[in-house]
Amino acid sequence: MMMRGGRSLVSSPPAFSNDAKKLLVCTSNTVSVFSTATGLQITSLEGHTALVTSVVVVPPSSPAAKVLCYCWTASLDGTIRYWDFSVPELMKTIDIRVPIFNMVIPSFLDIPAEDKGKHRDLFAYVFTEDTKETQEKTKALRRQIRKCNLSKSRLVGRLILGETKKPEVLTVSPSGKFFGIRNKCKLRIWKVPDQGSEHAAVRKITLHHTKKITVIAFHPTQRVIAAGDVTGRILTWRGFGNIAFAGNNGVEKQKLINIQEDKPGVRDNDDADSCTTWHWHSAEVNVLSFSSDGAYLYSGGKEGVLVVWQLDTGKKKFLPRIGSPLLYFIDSPDPTLSAISCADNQIHLLKMPSMGILKTISGIKTPCCCPEMCKGLGNGIAFDQTAGLVALRTENYCIQFYSLFDDRGISEVQVCERNHQPGDDVTVIVTAVALSVDGSLMSTSEVKLAEEGIGGLVCLKFWQAGSQNKEFSLSTIVYEPHRDAGISAVTFHPSGNMVVSSSFGGDFKIWRCNNDIIQSDQMHQNFSWTCHAVGSYKKRPMTAAAFSADGSVLAVAAETLITLWNPYKNVLLAVLGDTLTPIVNLSFLGKSDNLAAASCGSNPQLSVWSMSKLSLSWSYKLRIEAVASAVDSSSFAALALLPESSSETTFKGRDGVILLYNATNPVPTAIWSVKKAMGGALGFLQVNPSSVEEVDGKTPEVLLAYMNGDHEYVVFDPYCKDAHEVSISQKEGLSALELKGQGGQYGYASIYGELPEFSEKRPETPWVPSFPSERPWETIFSGSSHNLPPLTNLCSAFLESLLEKRTAAVE
Amino acid sequence: MTEIRAEEETSTISKTFLIKPKLKSKPRTLPQTPESKYWSSFKSTRVPNLVSSISSLSFSPSPPHPFAAAYSASVSLFSPLSLSDGDVSPSSTISSFSDVVSSLSFRSDGLLLAASDLSGLVQVFDVKTRTPLRRLRSHTRPVRFVKYPVLDKLHLLSGGDDAVVKFWDVAGENVVLDLMGHKDYVRCADCSPVSSDLFVTGSYDHTVKVWDVRVENSTSILEVNHGKPVEDVIYLPSGGLIATAGGNSVKIWDLIGGGKIVHSMESHNKTVTSICVGRTRKENCGDESMEDRILSVGLDGYMKVFDYGNMKVTHSMRFPAPLMSVSFSPDCKTRVIGTSNGIIFAGRRKGKENGESGGRGNVLGFESISEPERRVLRPTYFRYFHRGQSEKPAEGDYLVMRNKIKLAEHDKLLKKFRHKDALVSVLSKNNRENVVAVMEELVTRKKLLKCVSNLDTDELGLLLMFLSKNATMPRYSSLLMGLTKKVIETRAEDIRSSDALKGQIRNLKRSIEEELRIQHSLQEIQGIISPLLRIAGRR
Repeated sequence: MMMRGGRSLVSSPPAFSNDAKKLLVCTSNTVSVFSTATGLQITSLEGHTALVTSVVVVPPSSPAAKVLCYCWTASLDGTIRYWDFSVPELMKTIDIRVPIFNMVIPSFLDIPAEDKGKHRDLFAYVFTEDTKETQEKTKALRRQIRKCNLSKSRLVGRLILGETKKPEVLTVSPSGKFFGIRNKCKLRIWKVPDQGSEHAAVRKITLHHTKKITVIAFHPTQRVIAAGDVTGRILTWRGFGNIAFAGNNGVEKQKLINIQEDKPGVRDNDDADSCTTWHWHSAEVNVLSFSSDGAYLYSGGKEGVLVVWQLDTGKKKFLPRIGSPLLYFIDSPDPTLSAISCADNQIHLLKMPSMGILKTISGIKTPCCCPEMCKGLGNGIAFDQTAGLVALRTENYCIQFYSLFDDRGISEVQVCERNHQPGDDVTVIVTAVALSVDGSLMSTSEVKLAEEGIGGLVCLKFWQAGSQNKEFSLSTIVYEPHRDAGISAVTFHPSGNMVVSSSFGGDFKIWRCNNDIIQSDQMHQNFSWTCHAVGSYKKRPMTAAAFSADGSVLAVAAETLITLWNPYKNVLLAVLGDTLTPIVNLSFLGKSDNLAAASCGSNPQLSVWSMSKLSLSWSYKLRIEAVASAVDSSSFAALALLPESSSETTFKGRDGVILLYNATNPVPTAIWSVKKAMGGALGFLQVNPSSVEEVDGKTPEVLLAYMNGDHEYVVFDPYCKDAHEVSISQKEGLSALELKGQGGQYGYASIYGELPEFSEKRPETPWVPSFPSERPWETIFSGSSHNLPPLTNLCSAFLESLLEKRTAAVE
Repeated sequence: MTEIRAEEETSTISKTFLIKPKLKSKPRTLPQTPESKYWSSFKSTRVPNLVSSISSLSFSPSPPHPFAAAYSASVSLFSPLSLSDGDVSPSSTISSFSDVVSSLSFRSDGLLLAASDLSGLVQVFDVKTRTPLRRLRSHTRPVRFVKYPVLDKLHLLSGGDDAVVKFWDVAGENVVLDLMGHKDYVRCADCSPVSSDLFVTGSYDHTVKVWDVRVENSTSILEVNHGKPVEDVIYLPSGGLIATAGGNSVKIWDLIGGGKIVHSMESHNKTVTSICVGRTRKENCGDESMEDRILSVGLDGYMKVFDYGNMKVTHSMRFPAPLMSVSFSPDCKTRVIGTSNGIIFAGRRKGKENGESGGRGNVLGFESISEPERRVLRPTYFRYFHRGQSEKPAEGDYLVMRNKIKLAEHDKLLKKFRHKDALVSVLSKNNRENVVAVMEELVTRKKLLKCVSNLDTDELGLLLMFLSKNATMPRYSSLLMGLTKKVIETRAEDIRSSDALKGQIRNLKRSIEEELRIQHSLQEIQGIISPLLRIAGRR
């Protein structure tokens, strides 16, 4: 079994059904149908094998036909499909064998009802890639606008309306008479020919501007076109094409009129009566749409504000604080409903004249971009194993809780009390998020960046969930928990009443929870967190921390060393010997007495340490992005980044592998190769029998969730032998991530040959004993020579151990 | 297409930040209920100097509902219209009594007034001419009450200390029925609002008896025991319930159910002397639908409003003297209360149809037609949407309390992105926590150093003064020491050119040197203590 999710809802504009009760959203290879009343997914149209780029709902020809649910979709796989999305059922497939970047169907917009008896051809205008002539022609003009006869299922031959370098968005006027594209500083507008022959000459005009145009919109009734440019201006041409689209002898007329009229604001003798400019947006305009009665113009852009312009007066109304750049604005047939798509993968349904947000269709939020100095602090993703949730930090200082099984956003917790304005400099970053095992407690850390060295602030926050829902409320704030040093890791004790936070400043703190249960009308737990203990090891930066499954041992990585502590008494139990580079990730492997440590840098390493023997069991030279261990089994999964050289050739663009190990065995039990592994995350999820369908009559014990750098995820059973076949039958070719399953044992030999670099550091000796004892200098030099730290490190450690000895002697 | 449109809920994107509830609950005055607002809206007028205790008050059933007050040996008629204008003198006074007047009753058309006095005489007056038309003499002891039946213009009911209730034929001045049965003084009676033949009487023998004049042998048809000497009894408007007052309790009885007690209200502290039926606006509904209440007054000086639908006291009002009598006008505009020391508290409520309906009734001499009750506003009515902004919330409405956040001046300036002005404004306010908070906000906007470089000399002086006072505070030093360094670096030229700023810098230097000295001595102490602590720890 396998579940995919976290797909982008905003890759292309959505479309409303005719009764405005459904919203069709392109989600990679499928079209998802959402209910506008509940905001939940109803069905999905599955069949395309590549990204769906356009969805066009067939408008009703009569009021009674409003209940009909037909739509056309176009995809990069070169097919146009016709669906009944109420069932849902595929009704027709037109294969034109060239990728379609965009499709508009202007003609059915003006088919009169009485024409239904007479058969008429339906034409679509598609933006395609010219694949055949790539060799001959210059590469510059490879994208073409073609006409396609949908009724006869073929492209209209030899009719190329225009060519551009990049795929552009075709915009059709609501009346169905014109369509246009933007092309750098120009607007090209075509008049849709009458229904006569399919080779009828198509007339076009061009309007010019001095800036790059980003979006265009047609007025529903008049000959008015609006365009937004990169500087935030909105230009409105009135009466475009009066001459060219008027009659047969347009050219002669144009010459005549040019002499007489002056056209305010129109450049270069363009074919328009007048051109006016509005300027409110500070950055480029991404959204432009006329209201259905043509009295208002909606615009939006990077600053995340929807502006409504009254067309006659230029008066403005605003819907501010959407918090993310706007991408599309869609009007629905219901005048009180419309939708805006935002760049953070949310679709907001608006109640129209008042512009209140009715519902939000919440996709997984896109990863937030961090400034350079905060890279490598982890990816801010925490899995809630029991509930199947993932908590991820978002750009607007929130933690989003996303249900992996339901594929929808559950809730958001605002971590910092700031309003996010897209486009501002990032000054506050949520760096880490940790969830307790039962998911009821959360801890976050945030960093306020200093301005030229003054005023930086690190903040650690503890949150508690409300009784049943995932509404977290703040219980404790700790300002500067490690003075001014940044927090490297935050981890919960398995019992949930203890948290360890480690810092680059050379110490770690254990926070204990004091919960006073106030017996009021209902049980109200009031948690407060206080510092229980502080520990440090030779003032080294603490880079990672982990609790063992029973909570009796705390492992903290002091750069290259692993220190083991008793968290209750704060006593150093043992120190595990050196890795080559600082450890960034520590993880106890389930109930087994093994500890996995991943270190990064020039000499990356994945090492597994045995707790019973206090020694290294085995290690690999691998760049590890994430490690996850199942709670009650000894296996663990690691996400490794492949070196660039090998990923090009052997893995066809896939840049990472998921390796499933048994802790005691250095031979991986299964390997999957994945795409976009950079910034990815892994997590084991416990199976809730109700949420997972059975495979072969038995439910899997545990599921592995992999989330890639774009926050698309897949949930699968890591022990399922036929994961390979399942993924194939799942309609392969999901553009973003594809798992090439290798049934563990039998396939390893072949893989082993392909990946020589995995075995570079096969352990020659099964383990390296390093017992910390009363006389540490005896153990420093023990162990195999390749595992010995550099001499400079060794020297200071040796001398320090001697010094320790002296003080003991004094005592 | 079987979707159910979910209830519309509007959410905004701008987050509401989660705030922990404060540990101390904020004391908040209970919101006044609409009902107590209604009862407080009776604007009280004092009618003073009426010699002695107001033994009885009665409203005329005909508009404009003048009322009569019995005190000492006289009866005064007051017009509620002139009372609201502040004129407290009676419109007319009847003083043809030989003893203290005990009780008053208007006939149902408001033309005749019956009055009883302690000499045992019952007189019937023409209200306009104030001449006694009939004198009914049969009682041998003081008469305590006289009552016109609600639906009957020909008969009269009276009773008194001789324990006999008499039913009179007024025109013939003779007694129709002598109702015997009470064993002690009869103090009060009321006639049924639904039948002309039924009435109740209450007596000091603790019993309340229900009589029917049609019963031949002149015995009571029902008897309930109040448990205390009964001071007052009234029929509730339905005719099925009666309320009795005696001792410090008011009890409600169900007559149709055979005299079962329905409820006993015991919120008065002293004897309840008088009760009457009042009417109030119905809860949760629009303005003009009315609901009945029992108004009770007692010797403790309280008037209580009792909602016998929900069995609870909905309003209570204190007066500065023991109260003897209460009455409520049929048009719900006037409420009068008489005290034991000769003061009448006449409360009058403002109303729209104040003059019109009353005036019309008088001038044209029409029978008063009670206005049809206005319909309760419901969301299905058009008028519901025309309530206007000043519409008061009903009790059942959910009030959205919006705490208005008062922004300080620096916050307002920060909202307008006037960063330097915000910094200067907060520096001049002399609250260092605010200053540091504004500085931190400026740091997150990456504007602090820009602000510092834009300060003019005076403002720089303010900043330096603040820094010299607070830079060494351990709480803020991590931010302020860095800032101090930057300020001195960037504004060195300005500081050199101004003597005042040089003085500030000297202060700053001094405070920092002092802090350094303290740190040094602390470190010395630490150096002494830490080995001791380490040794102690090892043991």
